[in-house]
Amino acid sequence: MDNNEREGAGLEVKVESVGEFSLIGLSGEVDVYSAPKLRETIKTLVDDGKFNIIVDLEKVAFLDSTGLGVLVGGLKRVKHHDGELGIICNQEKILRIFRITGLTKVFPIYRSREELLNEVKEA
Amino acid sequence: MPEREGTPFELEIPAKAKYVGLARLLAGSIARRMHFSEESIDDLKLAISEVCTNAIVHTGNGEGEKPPILVRYLAGKGFITVEVKDQGPGFDPSCILDREREGLISKGFGIPLIKSLVDVFECDSHPQAGTTVTITKFLKPEKDEL
Repeated sequence: MDNNEREGAGLEVKVESVGEFSLIGLSGEVDVYSAPKLRETIKTLVDDGKFNIIVDLEKVAFLDSTGLGVLVGGLKRVKHHDGELGIICNQEKILRIFRITGLTKVFPIYRSREELLNEVKEA
Repeated sequence: MPEREGTPFELEIPAKAKYVGLARLLAGSIARRMHFSEESIDDLKLAISEVCTNAIVHTGNGEGEKPPILVRYLAGKGFITVEVKDQGPGFDPSCILDREREGLISKGFGIPLIKSLVDVFECDSHPQAGTTVTITKFLKPEKDEL
């Protein structure tokens, strides 16, 4: 992706490759204003044929239902290509939102990048 | 807004997505000064964000000249109430209950989230007359005070 680093709208988005995954690192707030940036990033990756995506929420200070909706939309996109969309998050305040909405059962959730890498190695 | 005593604050924001953060920020600041726990502050900020997002989306999200959103905060003894009033097309609020009963709120997480985050959720809406959503969060004693 040419635009690996995007700023503005209170959300910074970085994309990097980690093994077989495209890792989207988010920093800032994901709400109705900034979520389209994340949606566009996921869409671009899928359009480029990258169907295994991990979204790192460790540096996200705020996430609302618009952000959740974008993640669910992304999951549907990659599933359509037999891919996967996982989450990295160890923040209780963010994990709580996933629990309330029942999305902990929908997304693979890793506590850290190390946990993701270890699971990949073991697979 | 319920008939309770407290200190009122008002914020009028354009019906545009980029102003939701402002309503959230003010709610967090007021709640922090009232010594709400960090978890309750996070809950309140998320709930207000959801309510304002709904108001802005239903008002047209800045497309054309849209009337502003009025956010009124009431900081009282042991509670904070926030009223979000839009001048959008409105709807029949009973449809929220009907959709919940039928399990049809699958497209959006907003309303179920709001209800799980606050102590009181009220919605007053009428077709062509705008919508007013009021939420209240009570200050809970710290665990070591119980």
